[in-house]
Amino acid sequence: MTQKLLEMAGIGKDRLHLAWVSSAEAQRFTEVAVSVTESAKAQGKLDSKALKMELEAAEMTLDGETVRWLVGKEIKITSKGDVYGRKWDVETYEEILDDILEREFQKNLIYLAIKEGSASVRDISNKTGLELLRVSYLLADLEHTNRVEFTGMEDSKPAFAAL
Amino acid sequence: MADFEPKIVAFLCNWCAYAGADLAGVSRMQYPANLRTVRVMCSGRVDPSFIVKAFKEGCDAALVAG
Repeated sequence: MTQKLLEMAGIGKDRLHLAWVSSAEAQRFTEVAVSVTESAKAQGKLDSKALKMELEAAEMTLDGETVRWLVGKEIKITSKGDVYGRKWDVETYEEILDDILEREFQKNLIYLAIKEGSASVRDISNKTGLELLRVSYLLADLEHTNRVEFTGMEDSKPAFAAL
Repeated sequence: MADFEPKIVAFLCNWCAYAGADLAGVSRMQYPANLRTVRVMCSGRVDPSFIVKAFKEGCDAALVAG
C-alpha cells in the first residue's frame, strides 16, 4: 500500500525496500545492504524539496482517518463482512483501497494547493497536474467535509479557501 | 554520478535484522556505510508515515527489515 502511494506521489515504489533477515544471517544482511545501496545509487538523489507538496499529501493520506479505518478493518471486511453483512473478497477490497488511496491523496493535494494560494479550479489543476473535472469533483467532496470553503466569485470564476 | 552516496534509512527489527546486522559487524563483514539504522522492537512497529517522513527529511531510500 505504501509503495503504491509512493508511486502516486512521484517518489517511486522502488525507493522502499522490504527484506526478511533472521538474527543468524549476517551474510544475508550484507547482501541486502549492498543491493539496497546499489539500487539507491542507480536511482540517484531524491529531490525532496521539489516533491514537498506530494510528500505532505502522502503523509496526510496515511495519517488520515479514512485510510486508517479501512486498513484496520481489512480482516473483518474480507472474512466476516461489512456492517451491511456484505462479504468482500480480497481482490475487491484491494481495488477499493487503491481507489480510496488515490482519491484521498488527490484530495490532500488539492487542499495543500489551495492552502498555498491557488484559488480557482484552473489554478489548482495547474498546480497539482490533475484534470479540471477531477479537481471540481474532489472539491465538492472537500466542501462536504468542511475542509474547503467556497469564498465567492473572482472575475466570474469560483474561488476556494482552505479551512 | 559515480561518487553519489545515498542516504538510506533502515528500520531494523530488534530481534531479527538488527541482530543480523550486529552479527555482520562482529564477524567483520564488509557492507556499505549508507544505512542509517533505526532500531525498532518489531518491524510491525513501522508506520507507513514514518517512511514518508524519512523521505521528507531528505533520505533517498528506505529499508524495512524484519
